[in-house]
Amino acid sequence: MKLLIVDDSALIRSRVARILNDPRLKSVQLLGMAKNGKEAIMLFLQHMPDLVTMDITMPEMDGIDCTEKMIEIHPDCNILVISALSDKATALKALKKGARGFLYKPFSDEDLIAAFLELTSP
Amino acid sequence: MNGINERDIHIFVDAVSNFFFHVTEEKVEIKTAYLLENDVPSATYDLTSYITLSGNFTGRIYFSAPRSMLTHLLLIMGEQVRDNDRLLDTVGEIANTISGNARKHFGETMEISVPISQETEPDWLKTVVSPHSYIILVKWKQYRASVVVDIQRAGQT
Repeated sequence: MKLLIVDDSALIRSRVARILNDPRLKSVQLLGMAKNGKEAIMLFLQHMPDLVTMDITMPEMDGIDCTEKMIEIHPDCNILVISALSDKATALKALKKGARGFLYKPFSDEDLIAAFLELTSP
Repeated sequence: MNGINERDIHIFVDAVSNFFFHVTEEKVEIKTAYLLENDVPSATYDLTSYITLSGNFTGRIYFSAPRSMLTHLLLIMGEQVRDNDRLLDTVGEIANTISGNARKHFGETMEISVPISQETEPDWLKTVVSPHSYIILVKWKQYRASVVVDIQRAGQT
């Protein structure tokens, strides 16, 4: 599976990328990272990833609009929203736009691995 | 008064405690106070990030920490890159996480901006926040940091 990481924080991008070293995620291959929604859409169109981690609060284009656009382009894409926004309405909005999972910040490595495994299991 | 009460402030206390516990698996010591009324000596550390609120709230939420604390947190996270840009990014990510987590209590009508992070001089916070701001003083190991909650419900003064 090809993964695109979308987050305006370099710390989170680096952390998600590092977790891919876990042997349980050997089927997931990093194809790119974007720091806002616009950059993410460009990379998405170029590479058509199967899996995306998506922040919500970002400059240029937020994660909700970005999720909606990606699902329009590739409805089978698995989008995992990773956000600190802990209200139910935001999670529901993201899921309604087509996201398949929602992980709240702060998260542990095991939380993220579990979320990936859930999305990538057949 | 700014329409924010002690129960509201506890949401931020919980958010900052939760953040540190998740990263370090240790509990932090927390004290809260009004910023000016209790003559808090200095709440400003090397790097400060703030989130601006809109929607049903106005104002800002600040997180300020010394470089040494942020570097230590990055070490625990296993981060190889610990330069100034990464420290600024980290202080912003903490401000973002604390503010975002608070929406569990305040709801989606508390809209939050992306974090603005910068290097700060001692006492900078006192020059930019209102006297009735709440301050949350955080102590983890030998390090100290602060969260300043300078927010109002929209329409209140």
